[in-house]
Amino acid sequence: MTTAADWGHAAELDDVNGEVAIVGIGETDYTKASGRTAAQIGAEAAERAIADAGLEPRDVDGLTFSGAFADFGVAEFHAHFGTDHDMWSSPWGGGMAWAGTAPYLAAGAIARGEARHVLNVFPVAWATQRSSMTGGPGEVHAQQSLKQNLEVPFGFFPQPVYFASIMRRHMLEFGTTREQFGAVAITLREHANRTPSAVFRDKTLSLEQYLGAPMLADPLCLYDSCPISDGGAAYVTTSLERARDLARVPAVVRGVGEGYSGSGGHWAQQRAFTSTPQVFSTPGAFAMAGITNDDVDVLTCYDPFTIVSLMQVEDMGFCAKGESGPFAESGALRFDSGRLPYNTHGGLLSHAYVLGIAHVIECVKQLRGVAGAQVPECEVAVYGGYTGHMASTLVLTRS
Amino acid sequence: MAITRDDFPLPDVHDPLTAPFFAAAARDALEIPRCTACGTYVWYPAPTCPECGSGEIEWVAVSGRATLFTWVIVQRAFLPAFESMVPFVTALVALDEDPAVRLCTYLVDVADPAVLTANAPVHVEFRDLTFATVPGRSVRVPMFAVGAAS
Repeated sequence: MTTAADWGHAAELDDVNGEVAIVGIGETDYTKASGRTAAQIGAEAAERAIADAGLEPRDVDGLTFSGAFADFGVAEFHAHFGTDHDMWSSPWGGGMAWAGTAPYLAAGAIARGEARHVLNVFPVAWATQRSSMTGGPGEVHAQQSLKQNLEVPFGFFPQPVYFASIMRRHMLEFGTTREQFGAVAITLREHANRTPSAVFRDKTLSLEQYLGAPMLADPLCLYDSCPISDGGAAYVTTSLERARDLARVPAVVRGVGEGYSGSGGHWAQQRAFTSTPQVFSTPGAFAMAGITNDDVDVLTCYDPFTIVSLMQVEDMGFCAKGESGPFAESGALRFDSGRLPYNTHGGLLSHAYVLGIAHVIECVKQLRGVAGAQVPECEVAVYGGYTGHMASTLVLTRS
Repeated sequence: MAITRDDFPLPDVHDPLTAPFFAAAARDALEIPRCTACGTYVWYPAPTCPECGSGEIEWVAVSGRATLFTWVIVQRAFLPAFESMVPFVTALVALDEDPAVRLCTYLVDVADPAVLTANAPVHVEFRDLTFATVPGRSVRVPMFAVGAAS
């Protein structure tokens, strides 16, 4: 019997409840191949986030970005804005799980007096890069020697295959059905249909279409898998005290969590095969925020595949392990009538594959009351980040 | 940085961490690294035992009997090398000696994937792995077939 303790752990984080808030958000267009570079996309997102906060570029004295992609760092910031001031920075921000923990880094820098206004930015241009056969989620993995020798040669590659294998095991262990995975895809598509920025804003999806779609890696079909996109977003974090002086309704950071799988990014070897490290990340974040699952008005989770949505909904405690299929099929994830309005912008599956940064933006929009598929009186919005070996949880509240 | 090894996606049989796995397969043997100090199978291979920290690890023969943990019928060719192979069945099999050890493998001789069942007994079958994109090269590897024994 696998116990929680033997397959992962939570990071110990300082209590930052109420110290900082997100006060500015900026997004580029989300598109298929745009012909733009990630640095250009990042600059545009940064510009819009700073303007939304009512700040000038020189006010931004902190920057968090993705060290793994490093498309928009301090040098690119200064080059774009024509500035040269000192900036605190960290490469442990950006998207994916780190889109949820960047505000924690900002809180630390602000508390130490190293920065006042911290920008987190994440751009991606994989749709453009794919046409030249570079970049993309698979290439990062194929370079790891254990995967290159023990997985890729055996056809266990890339991500659609990993997650199809998890999806199959979830079906075998818990009786989850294709119709239930389809309910996730369809609900998210309906949310995207109400979200002006979504790549799939104008394309509807029915259960009949879902069930008739081509299999990529049976049991995973086309609609279980997210597209590749170009796009980016950014947000500005500052102290709650400073936030009160700015124009926007602050999205207050109430809780942050971070959990790790002991098997790293080797899904094939993870002891709790149908789980994510949200098991470790969520409890600390909810305890820091002083909330329970029932308090959550909107949940957004990193959802490259339908199965990743279902696993995180379970692992974050919104339903019992194995029960997420019936939960989704009951309509629980719908923005207008569900118990747990989920990925109300459409998620990676139907909004855009910009690796989670747009999920945090959606949380802020819901709290401001300006989302496309708006949940009435949204007070608590939670982002569940996921990067295979790591999960993060970010609890935001309105004021 | 793209992968430049010209025999990709064949395994790199010279990679020190996994070379013994392929050396054993070349003799039609299935060997897995095990910690001599505490007896834990160290899978994936690692320089030190994740349980006890010992660096004394030896490759030991296992029976080749396993159970079918999960499988995927790959229909989209995600690499050019897979284009002439799809559809194929890739699987994770859990070794009888320690089900926590899961091998990524091909499930071979599957007449109808619809009849595959969870935790079905499977056994090792050594085959030469070739890809149309890597002409003239092959690596002997463990694949698995449904059934208790060969």
